[in-house]
Amino acid sequence: MSLVHANMVDGIALPRLVWLRPNLVGLAFPLMKLLPARFIIRKALESGELRPGGLIAETTSGTFGLALAMVARLGGHPLTLVSDPAIDAPLKRRLEDLGATVHIVREPGASGGYQQARLAVLEEVLAGNPGSFCPRQYSNPGNPESYAACAEQLAHATGAVDCLVGSVGSGGSVCGTSSYLRRMFPDLVAVGVDTHRSVIFGQSDAGGGRTLRGLGNSLMPQNVDHTAFDWVHWVGAAEAFLATRRLHREHALFAGPTSGAAYLVADWWARENPDQLVAVIFPDEGYRYQDTVYDDAWLEAKGLRLDVLPRGPVEWARPHDGDDLWSSYRWGRRPYAEVMRAPGPRRELVPT
Amino acid sequence: MSARAAVPLAGVPLASPAAARTAAATATTTAMTSVATSATTSAATSAATTGTTPTAPVDRRTPVWTIFPPPGEGARTGTGEVHAHHGEIVQGGFYADGVLEHGLVTLPCSLYRTRARFRPVRSGPLTVEPGDRRRARAAARLTLDALGRTGWGGAIRIDSNVPLRWGCGSSTTDVLATIRAVADAFDAVLEPAWVARLAVAAETASDSLMFAPGRAVLFAQRRGSMLLDLGGPLPPVRVLGFNTEADRGVETLSLPPVPYTVWEREAFGPILGLLRHAVERQDPALLGRVATASTLINQRHRPRRSMPRLLEAAAEAGALGVQVAHSGTVAGFLFEPGEGASPRVERAREALGRLGMHRSWEFTTDLSPHPEPLS
Repeated sequence: MSLVHANMVDGIALPRLVWLRPNLVGLAFPLMKLLPARFIIRKALESGELRPGGLIAETTSGTFGLALAMVARLGGHPLTLVSDPAIDAPLKRRLEDLGATVHIVREPGASGGYQQARLAVLEEVLAGNPGSFCPRQYSNPGNPESYAACAEQLAHATGAVDCLVGSVGSGGSVCGTSSYLRRMFPDLVAVGVDTHRSVIFGQSDAGGGRTLRGLGNSLMPQNVDHTAFDWVHWVGAAEAFLATRRLHREHALFAGPTSGAAYLVADWWARENPDQLVAVIFPDEGYRYQDTVYDDAWLEAKGLRLDVLPRGPVEWARPHDGDDLWSSYRWGRRPYAEVMRAPGPRRELVPT
Repeated sequence: MSARAAVPLAGVPLASPAAARTAAATATTTAMTSVATSATTSAATSAATTGTTPTAPVDRRTPVWTIFPPPGEGARTGTGEVHAHHGEIVQGGFYADGVLEHGLVTLPCSLYRTRARFRPVRSGPLTVEPGDRRRARAAARLTLDALGRTGWGGAIRIDSNVPLRWGCGSSTTDVLATIRAVADAFDAVLEPAWVARLAVAAETASDSLMFAPGRAVLFAQRRGSMLLDLGGPLPPVRVLGFNTEADRGVETLSLPPVPYTVWEREAFGPILGLLRHAVERQDPALLGRVATASTLINQRHRPRRSMPRLLEAAAEAGALGVQVAHSGTVAGFLFEPGEGASPRVERAREALGRLGMHRSWEFTTDLSPHPEPLS
């Protein structure tokens, strides 16, 4: 491998590995979504789904859009991103600086809110541009597959891994990385970190939006392979934010709140299981959150300022809607429907 | 049947496990001797004498040397010797500068080896004995050309105990031993990378034996070049080898490339990552994980009926992993080196017997001496 990277995406796509405890290694990504963005576009070009110079279109207001914008810019592809008014202004400016066309949907859909309206606009863009390509990170198998590069780096650096902890949004990073590590270490424990009012592991999204953004989902992503998970943890916003700050204060690791949520769970798991080597995924850096998670006044105003972290999660007997306390459930690598059918009060299944 | 097909397998365990261990232990020193004698004895009788044959001059029955005039200036009879391998630790697709290449890492095996002798003449025909080793003859011609000896001829004599069609690199050992013998005749030592190019030119696909056993490399067998130098030898392991298809083999060069799924294609990255860690730390247990992972992917494309039961047997016996010749029929259970593994090896041998695989053999990749621990 050359000492000079071919481009900036190749240069920062992989995480830096950092010891946080003698048995806990952090995978600190500058922008984790570069892995799936780069891989999905490369695969689409190979298969001919995307022509050289062809239009890429996607609906996103998060880091996947930024990663796509970087990959598309370097590959010479025009990019249209469909977003809603919630997109933060600095991110929008950065996307546009990279040459992306950012289409803001002003009105929520009659049913399904902004998500529905965004999808409608996206389909319009795709239909109006024959030969255009939509990466669809929530269903494209290239998303989990792209994490082979991450598993390779981890296996080369640490050898055996006993436990992988990561937040779950699209299902790509934890499901992908664990599937590759388990080819070599079938007993690897995979711990998914979700937040309350996310449907991924059996809660409903009723009762207001999620304060902790970047993980969890109101729709069930196809790329979530429930049978990958041994344990699920639901983390509340306040404790995730404090854990994010701890990561910064104690380890000088400047990351976003999804990283904080994963760190809270991984640090606890590493303390509880001192003979296991634990790896934890940190998906992005802290810059986007300097005026929120990293601002005590903002935390105070939102009522999300904690002084101490909980000592551990409350273990639940079954998944259910909950308050914002840190809770855990032994998922046991079962399919979603099987967990929901398990003894206990019946719940309505979320359509996938 | 060619002369080599009748050659007994030095070190192949015989009737009892005890005899087998003796044979394995002495295999390294007797392998060439038994080859030399077997040229004129039947397979049955020489198999019975394996391990007990007294040392004999290797070229006692090779009068072919004497019919040529003495070699010309600067040339003498050259010899080259090369160990075979026991299939692969990993074989699959790997990215080299963004391009997907077929690559493999072989498991060196000192039980089987090939020796070539080359007696050059300034002008004359280039002959090879046994006569069916055309690839070795081609390799000799290419090597002579590469050494600026175009037009030279001579006699190549190949002695080998490497089983054919088992996936142990028999063809490559012929070619490599010949290249080394020709180079040796002119006091030339060739760089492994150069040897690799000559070997691929002679036989279209080649194993990475030119680097073994001191250096484990990820080798592009169809391109004939090194994809990655792993920086050291493979971790030391004890190997219990056997043949999953009785003694039938496969024609390895005629197998088409495996159509991996995208997931599988990508899975070789993490497997290579773990192999690099295993080599850097010389960790036998992780080498076992690497081998089993590659075996499992291969099993989806070139299934062996016995594999599920073999994997079970290996786990029950406490083996570190299972390796296979991805384009062949040999397989091996890996154990940590040293005497400590003997009870587990014994359990595995018994389990193999219950699966109908009564012939097994043992070797080690451990290159270092193991002195008694200090008390």
